[in-house]
Formats: sequence, structure tokens, C-alpha cells
Amino acid sequence: MTALHAGLGVALGAGSLTALAGLLVPRRARTTVVGAGLAITGAAALLAGIAAMTGRSASFAVPDLLPLFGLLFTVDPLAGVFLAITGGVTVAVGIYGIGYCRGPGDGQGHDHGGLDARGVQAVLPLFVLAMLAVPVAASVGTLLLCWELMALTSLLLVIAEHRRRPTVASAGRWYAVMTQLGLVAILIGLSVFAGHAVDGSFAALRAAAPTLTPAVAALVFVATGIGFGSKAGIVPLHAWLPRAHPEAPSNVSALMSAAMVNLGVYGIVRVGFDLLGDTGAAWWWLLVLGLGALSAIYGILQAAIGTNFKRLLGNSTTENMGLILIGVGAAGFFGTAGDLDLAALALAAALLHLVNHAAFKTLLFTSAGSVVQATGRRDLDELGGLNTGMPATTAAFGVGALAASALPPGAAFVSEWLLLQALIHGLPATGVAGAIVLPLAVAAVALTAGLAVATFVKAFGIGFLAKPRTPEAASATEGPASMLVGMGVAGVACVALALAPTLVLPTIGSVAGATVGAGDPVRIHGLTIELVGTLGATVGSLSPLMLTLALLIGTVLALAGARALATRRAARAARLWDCGGGPLSARMEYTATSFAEPLQRVFDDVLRAEHDVDVSHYDESRYLVQTVEYRRRVPDRIEKRLYDPVLRLVAAWGQAGRKLATGSVHRYLGYGFYTLCGLLVLLVVTR
Amino acid sequence: MTGLVVVVQLLVVVALSPLLIGMMRQVRARMEGRVGPGIGQPWRDLRKLMRKQPITPDGTSVVFRTAPLVLVATCLVVAAVAPLVSTAALLDPVSDLFAVVALLTLGTVTLALAGIDTGTAFGGLGASRETTIVALVEPTLLVAIFALSVPVGSTNLGAIVGATLADPAQVLSPVSLLAAAALVVVIIAETGRLPVDNPSTHLELTMVHEAMILEYAGPDLALVELAASMRLSLFLGLLANLFLPWGIATGGDPLLIGLAVPALVVKVAALGALLAAAEVFLAKLRLFRVPELLAGSFVMGLLAVGASYFLA
Amino acid sequence: MSESLFTQLLNLTVGAMLLTAVLTLWWRQLSSIIVIFGLQGIALAATVALIATHEGSAELGVVAVLVLVLRAGVLPWLLRRTLAAAGPNRRETRPLVNVVTSLLVAAGLTLLAYAVAQPLVALDTSPTGHAVPAALAVALTGFFVLVTRRLALSQLVGFLLLDNGITAVGILTTAEIGLVVELGISMDVLLVVLVLQVLKSRIRAAFGRTDIDELRELHD
Repeated sequence: MTALHAGLGVALGAGSLTALAGLLVPRRARTTVVGAGLAITGAAALLAGIAAMTGRSASFAVPDLLPLFGLLFTVDPLAGVFLAITGGVTVAVGIYGIGYCRGPGDGQGHDHGGLDARGVQAVLPLFVLAMLAVPVAASVGTLLLCWELMALTSLLLVIAEHRRRPTVASAGRWYAVMTQLGLVAILIGLSVFAGHAVDGSFAALRAAAPTLTPAVAALVFVATGIGFGSKAGIVPLHAWLPRAHPEAPSNVSALMSAAMVNLGVYGIVRVGFDLLGDTGAAWWWLLVLGLGALSAIYGILQAAIGTNFKRLLGNSTTENMGLILIGVGAAGFFGTAGDLDLAALALAAALLHLVNHAAFKTLLFTSAGSVVQATGRRDLDELGGLNTGMPATTAAFGVGALAASALPPGAAFVSEWLLLQALIHGLPATGVAGAIVLPLAVAAVALTAGLAVATFVKAFGIGFLAKPRTPEAASATEGPASMLVGMGVAGVACVALALAPTLVLPTIGSVAGATVGAGDPVRIHGLTIELVGTLGATVGSLSPLMLTLALLIGTVLALAGARALATRRAARAARLWDCGGGPLSARMEYTATSFAEPLQRVFDDVLRAEHDVDVSHYDESRYLVQTVEYRRRVPDRIEKRLYDPVLRLVAAWGQAGRKLATGSVHRYLGYGFYTLCGLLVLLVVTR
Repeated sequence: MTGLVVVVQLLVVVALSPLLIGMMRQVRARMEGRVGPGIGQPWRDLRKLMRKQPITPDGTSVVFRTAPLVLVATCLVVAAVAPLVSTAALLDPVSDLFAVVALLTLGTVTLALAGIDTGTAFGGLGASRETTIVALVEPTLLVAIFALSVPVGSTNLGAIVGATLADPAQVLSPVSLLAAAALVVVIIAETGRLPVDNPSTHLELTMVHEAMILEYAGPDLALVELAASMRLSLFLGLLANLFLPWGIATGGDPLLIGLAVPALVVKVAALGALLAAAEVFLAKLRLFRVPELLAGSFVMGLLAVGASYFLA
Repeated sequence: MSESLFTQLLNLTVGAMLLTAVLTLWWRQLSSIIVIFGLQGIALAATVALIATHEGSAELGVVAVLVLVLRAGVLPWLLRRTLAAAGPNRRETRPLVNVVTSLLVAAGLTLLAYAVAQPLVALDTSPTGHAVPAALAVALTGFFVLVTRRLALSQLVGFLLLDNGITAVGILTTAEIGLVVELGISMDVLLVVLVLQVLKSRIRAAFGRTDIDELRELHD
């Protein structure tokens, strides 16, 4: 039995057993058993994914399980990437959840009883299994079944704490509606496609792709793109992401952001590159690229000015998915222009960024969850000074923030470098369209990177450094050891990906090449990444390890120089500069809102903050002010411009439909009867 | 002998950067009708600071203490890999234009975090303004790099400088001129010179860089000042060698390197003097006018890329 | 049993079902309607028994007995009990559609059923196939009764007629309605009747009568 079969079998078995254990094991040991089971499932899936990426593939069919179609599964290298990512994230989150679910959750010291309940613990492994099943589905029916299973289990997990906070129910509603709408879009696209093929299996779809007219192919691509894009959190269908992530428990948020949204990208890559094959048109991929750029900028802008900790991280997910879709769109665009090597490079950059994002987003969400659990506060303006009480969490968040802001020696720096290289080298091959689009894409990536730096400096600096702004932040302590171990696993992965991306890059490069139809785009020379141009000459190289080593040596040199040249006196503790007015209080620190205020002013045309000032006077005299209340809200502009009119239209339609409900029971029964007779008459007449 | 190149570059940059600052201040002073403190004043200031007692402000953490070290480290790494005296680099895989830019941004970020770590309003103020400017400068910077790399087909610094050496007429092409103009604005923004930031002010309304480092004193402040002068000389050196590379050595030959060092010093000094002279006639822009300036430079960079395609 | 005898008897039983359905539209007295419904139950059981004998299937025989017990025994008894508790209102006065029109509509529905079921008949030329349109007509008539009667009890009878018709169509087309399926359907029907019984008494308690045409509050 090969590693692939073994890994898949163990993952399936361990997942099912863990789900069962979640139902049966008594409360005291429940989270431990489920967490350990999840870790085993994740490790097995990771192993299977790596085996699949290196070239092995397998197929399974369960033909008669369901009427109309059986279940068909195929593991190929592209699926292997997503299996590996989901598996890796599950290992970290599983271990983290052991301690997290036992704690008071995100409440304010309420009795625990929310997250270690049977319902939540049993559904977690099912969610993971569904996420593992989606990439390996090999027919339309199987994909839709697993997709819906994933949507339902994630919905149950998102609303796990609905008894504690009323906002959870509203977030769950948004999530449910948008997920179902996405499913409908995917269903339409894939059904149209399957209608032109022999049956619903992916092999038949591939064979039928050349026979599709451009209009039908475009419809399939756009419909599935809408559905998958909504799951990935792409603008304008992103509204569920910043709502669902703050309200879900942190381990669920980590799973969703680091594993589930990837499957939206998987869908687009699978349908666009694999199933529709060479029938793509340039405008499809330019659309993907454009929407990706828009999502990246919009997402990071919302994150830069937001102060809710987990909402900020959710918006950062939108941004990273946007960057990944820029890579995917560029890959498709280069493919239609004929330069397959460059397309493979762009796709490799996108896949590498996917892997990096999974690692650092897990780390960020788990550390944010520790903070929220320890302090009960979710707003950055109420945190601060956590580095004294929670040093390990601070260090973990620091590593994650460095990775997320795409600075060396962080993880995302390498993938952004690759992406920029791919975009830059695309100029000659793609003609006028490329000459217009590619510089704008580079500018979008750059603006995103700059804003990401600002966002994570804000999140790390205001949230963890300086003085605590509330008593809860002052008295915060580290969580149980399992949470730290889980964060540690994710942190190790981040650091490994940052320093040695050459470990994963060859396999990812070959996967990208295979998907696009070219060879390996990236050459590895020791620990250096090398890009090979058309003439075989090296056109660019990067060695993150060397860079980090150089930085370390530089730091040692600076330290040595300072020690040698500076005076030998011991350091003295001193007061901060307070203009002579006495010690500074925490109230005088910069808050997250004030930190982001220049950015909000610069982008005011896009953001359009709403200000409310309420002045109340004393009863005795209108000239004496009693209180002044200032409120500032930055609404999501896309929601206001796009969602509100649509919702108003639907509500008006519903109101008009109420006229049909007069209250008479006979009328209601009559509707059914007349419809039935009408249909029968129609049947007779049209035969 | 590329090891020799690295050592020479490090020594030149560390030793002569404060003198560059001193020279710029002297030019300004003379143009404003003052006598000026002399070119060596920054070194005298550094020496004085080194001799002072180190201070740890209340409530600051390890981030505050290590930020100056990391800042200097980034400058040292860039000094080692940038093609200042020779195009043959020791650390070729690090000598990439994107990597260099990212390293310099890393330095700014550590300083911003140190500013926030102090917990004073000034620190947060400086960090907030600095990260806003960095965020807005990024698009211009990367698009200008794009424009520079298109004729060469690579973002490797040595390759770009070598290509300009091989074809000197390229310097006068619209691509180069537009990219140079964009990069000048970027350098002013990144190093905190007028009209974006006034390096000699301590007024709350006008501070950006100074606000972040307000709590530093003694040897830490010396490191920060040294790093600021090194950044300026590195940016000016890169600007000089990307667009005016004559005099630079193409290998590890000690004689050529020996000739390259004075060439570098002359070019950087000339650019610095020009910059200082221009500063005399400029006033600092309001913070919310800076995006307009950066947007203008962005458009120039974009035009540079367009020109590289359409006029190629 | 010879083929021609089987055909005759089958046509007889299915025809009896159709006749009882039409009679439900004609008669006014509620007690008579319940008796007619019971007769239809017997006719349905006879249909199933006939098919069981023809096919030689013991399972269908069990189904026939079940149908007899339920639809000719239990359900009419339940309905009579409800009627006893109903009080003085024993006549369906003022139906929504008057009797003459109802009968004409029933005739039209039968014609529609025959037109619609042509492909089914063409597919299955055995006697059971030929009887399908009549069973479909029973279903449509039952639906019509459900829609146009005012009193809750009459509506209940209409629903049960609909169900009888559907069961008949099922038996005639497949000849192999599984025991489990029939059990399931029977349980559903029983449940509906019980629920509606309770509902009816509640409505009576609240409003004094069960003329649901007066109920118009079922809207926003």
C-alpha cells in the first residue's frame, strides 16, 4: 500500500473515529481526544498530500452510495497541494483546540460549556473531512455534495457560541445565505457544463470542453467563478468573511481562513485550467486578475482602518486571496498569450502564497484567540501591554505579523517576490493588454504590501506593546500548554517556509507546471531560488536563508561595534518624556483608531466614514454643555452600494408577494390545485 | 576577490555617511548665510552620544532595545550587496532590487514598532505618519523598479548596472529619465528629507522620523543617527550607480576598486549637495498633501513602464 | 383467474372508486359522505386484492388487508367520531362552487386525467395500465374536493380521496408497492387525520363552528 493510500485511509478513519468520539467521550476528556484525533487526521492528510504532490495519483469510486450518481474521487498533484495545506493546518488547530475549547471561550469569564459541547466537538472532524474531500472529488455530484457538507458543518461551527452573543446569529445568517447563493452559482455553472458532456465525471467534462461554444464556456467559467470566488472572499462577494470570522470560535476561524477559503481558489484553478483546458479566453483571466487586485486593495484597506482584532485578520484573508488570484489570473493570461513557462511561474507563486498564507494565518488566528480568551476583549483599542503577561503569544503573533506583511525574513516575502517576478517578466509576451494591466497589477501588489505593513505594525504594536489600556489587558496571562504547542507548530511552519522555501518550491513548481502544461518554472540551486529565462540564463535569484543570515551577522556586528565604542556605564531607567506633567497614563497612548487615522483620511473617497456628534446640554442652561458624544463608523462601501439596493429590491418583491396571501385557506389550496391542473393541461397541449 | 568588495563598501558607507550629512548641512548653512558647524560635526555628535550613559525608558520592552541594532543591520546588509563600487557582488542571491527595498522597509518598520512601544503619544504619532508614507511610497517604488528591469530582463542589481554600463545612451531614454524622477521623490520620502519631512524639527505638527526616536538617548541614538545617514548615502549611491554608473568596477580587481571608491564619493557628494541646495528653497508639505506628491511620482513611474514597452 | 374476468373485475373496482369520488361531490350530508368514503376504501382494497391474486403475490395480499383495515375501517370510524363531536352542523351547505358546477368540473377533470395519462397507457397495455387514468381522475377529484369545501371535515375527506387515488395509481402502474412504503404512507395518513381531528376541535372551541372560510387571519 503506497503512502498515498495509507495517508488517505488513516485520515478518513481517524476523522470518522474522532467525530464519533466527540459524541461519546465524557466532557472531561472530550477536547483532548478530539484534538489528538484531529492532529492524527491532519498529519495523515499532510502525508497523503505530499505523496500526491510528488507525482503519485489514485482514484476511488463508490458507485451506488447515492441515487443518480455514485461518488468518484481522484487524487492528483493539484489536489495534493490542498490536501497537504488542510492537513497541516488541522494539526496545529487540533492541538490548539485541546486547551482553547476547554477555556471560557470568547466570553467574559462565563462558565465553559460552549465549545466543548458534543455538537461542536463532533462536527469539527466532519468539517475537516469535508474540506479534505472537496479537492479529491472527481465528478460534479461528488464535488457539490462535499461542498455542501463543508458549508453546513462550517455553519454549525460558526454559530457555536450563539447563546453568548446575539451578533453570532446575524453573522451566521449572512454566512448561510451567501454560501448557499455561491452553491447555486456553482451548481448552475457545472450543470451547464455537464449537460454538454456524457456524464458528470471530470474526465467526461475534460473531453467535452473543446466542443463548447465560447459563450457557453464563458458562462460556465463566470458562474463557477462567482461561486468559488464568494467562498474565497473576493470582492464583491466578500461580505460574509469579516462578519463570520470575529464571531466564530478562534480555532474555527483559523480552519476557515487557512483551509476553507483556499478551496475557492482550488475551484477556480480546477475549472479554469483543468476542466476547461485550452478553451480559455484572455478576458476571463483579466477579470480574475482585476477582481483579485480589487479584493487585495479593498481587503487590506478595511483591515488597516479596522480595530476589531479578528475582523482585521478576516479582512487580511480577503487581501491574501486577492493576491493569490492576481497570480492565478496572470497565469491564465500568460497561458492564453502562449507563454506557458511564465504561466507556470505565476501559478507557482500563487500556490506558494497559498501555502504561506495558511501557515501565518493559522498562527495569527490562534494567537489572537489566546489573547481574546485571556482578556475577554476583542478590540485593539482595549488591548496593549500584553508582552509582559503573555510573552509567548506576543512572539508568536510577531512572527505571524512579520510573515503577513511580506517583509524579509517573513514567509510571504518569497511568494510575493515570485509573483512580482512573474508579473515583471510578462511584459514582452502579452502585448498591449499586458502593457496596461501588468504595471497596474504590480502597483496593486505594491500598495497592498505597503498597507499590509501599516496594518500589522498597528495590530502588533497597539495590541501587544506599550502599556495596557484596560485592566483585563493588564492582568492577562498565557493559556494552557496545548494552546502554546499549537501556536508553536504553526510558528515552526512559518519559520521553515520563510527560511527554506526551497523545501516546498520544487514540488509546488512541478504541480503548477503540470496544471498549466509546461515544465518546472523554478530551479533550485542549493538553498537559492533561481529563475531561468528563455535563453537558459539566470534572470533572478533569491536566497531567503542567506538574507536572514546576513541580517543576523549584521546585527551581531552592530552589537559588537556598539559595545566596543560605547561607554561602559550601566543603563539607567528613566521616565518617558511627559513634558513635565507627571507620569503618562495608558489613556495617552496612541490607539488603533488614531494610528490608522492618516490612512483613513488619505483614502476618504473610498471609505467615507460616517461621523455622529451628539451634544447634550444641562437642563438649566442651553449654553452649558453636559456631554459630547462622538461616534465614527466606517461602513463597508461595497455593501452599501451593492448589497443594500439588492436587498431592498428583494424586500420590495416580497412585499408585493404578500398580496397573494389574503388569509383565506381556500385561496391557498386553490393556488396548488389550479397550478397542478394548469401544468397538466400544458403537458397535454405541448406533447 | 568579492570579499574585498564587501569590506570596502561597508567601510566606505559606515565611515563616510555621517560626513555626507555634514556636507549637506554645511551646504545649506552657507546658502542660508550661516557659517555652519563643519563637515565633521555628525561624527563629533556620534562620539558624544557614544560616551553618554545608556537609558532604558520605563515600560519599554525588548523591541525598543533591539530596534536600533536591527536598523543598523539592515543598512549593513544593503551596503554589502548593493553595487556601489563593483557590479560583482558576493551575495548575488540577495542582490535583488526587491530584496533591497524590502530590507530598507524592514528597518523603518522596526523603528515604528519601537516608537509605539514607548507608549507615548509622540511615538505613536511618528509611527502612524511614517507607516502611512511607506504605504503610499511602495507602489511608486515597485513600478519604478519594474521600469528599470524591463530593458535588462532582470531585477538583479548587478545586472541592471552592468546593462547601463554596456549601453550608456540608455540613460537619456524617456524610460530612464522618468524612472529617475520617480525615484528621486521616493528617496526624499523614504529618507525623510524636505518637503516630506524635516529632519531637524521637533515640533509635534511637523515631526515624522524624529517623533519615533524621541525616547532614544546615548549609544542607541548614535546607532539610529548612523543608520539614518547610512540610508541616505545608500539611496543616493544606488541612484547614482543605476543612472550614472561610470567609474564603477566590473570585477574584483583591487586597482579598479580603488578607482571606484573616489568615483562613488564624488557622485554621491554631488547628488547630496544638489539635494541640500534644493531643500533651501522648499518648505515642508502638510502631511495630507504628501499623497498628492507621491501620486505624481507614481504616474511618472507608470509612464516609465509604458514607455519601456511602447518605445522599446 | 382468467384474463377477461380479471379485466372486468378490475374495471369494476376502479370504476367504483371513481363513482364514489363523484358522489362525494353530489351528496350534502356529512354522514353519507363518510359512508361513501368507506365504500371507496373497500373498492381500493378489492383492487389491490385483485392484483395480488393475479400476480400471485402474498405481499400484495397483506397490503390489501392493510388497506381494508385502515381505509375502510379505522379512518371512517375516526371521521364518524369527529362528526359526533361536531354538533348540529351536519350538512355541507353553501359549498364554494355549487353542486352542478362541481359535477361538471369533475367530468372535466376525468377527461384531463385521460388525456394526460395517454403515454402511460401506451406504455403498459395490460388491463392495469388501462385503469390508470381512472385512478388519476380520483386523485384530481379528491384535490378538487379539498379546495372547494367549506367545512373542515369535508376537506379532510377530500384529502383522503386524494391519497386513495395516489395509492391506486401507484398500485396500478408498478404492481409492486412495497410493504414498507405502504406502511409509511398509511402512517402518514393516519397522523394527518389525528392532527386534523385535534385541530378541528380546537377551531370549534375557539369559534363555535368549523367553517374555515371565515378564517382569514393566516397572513402577515
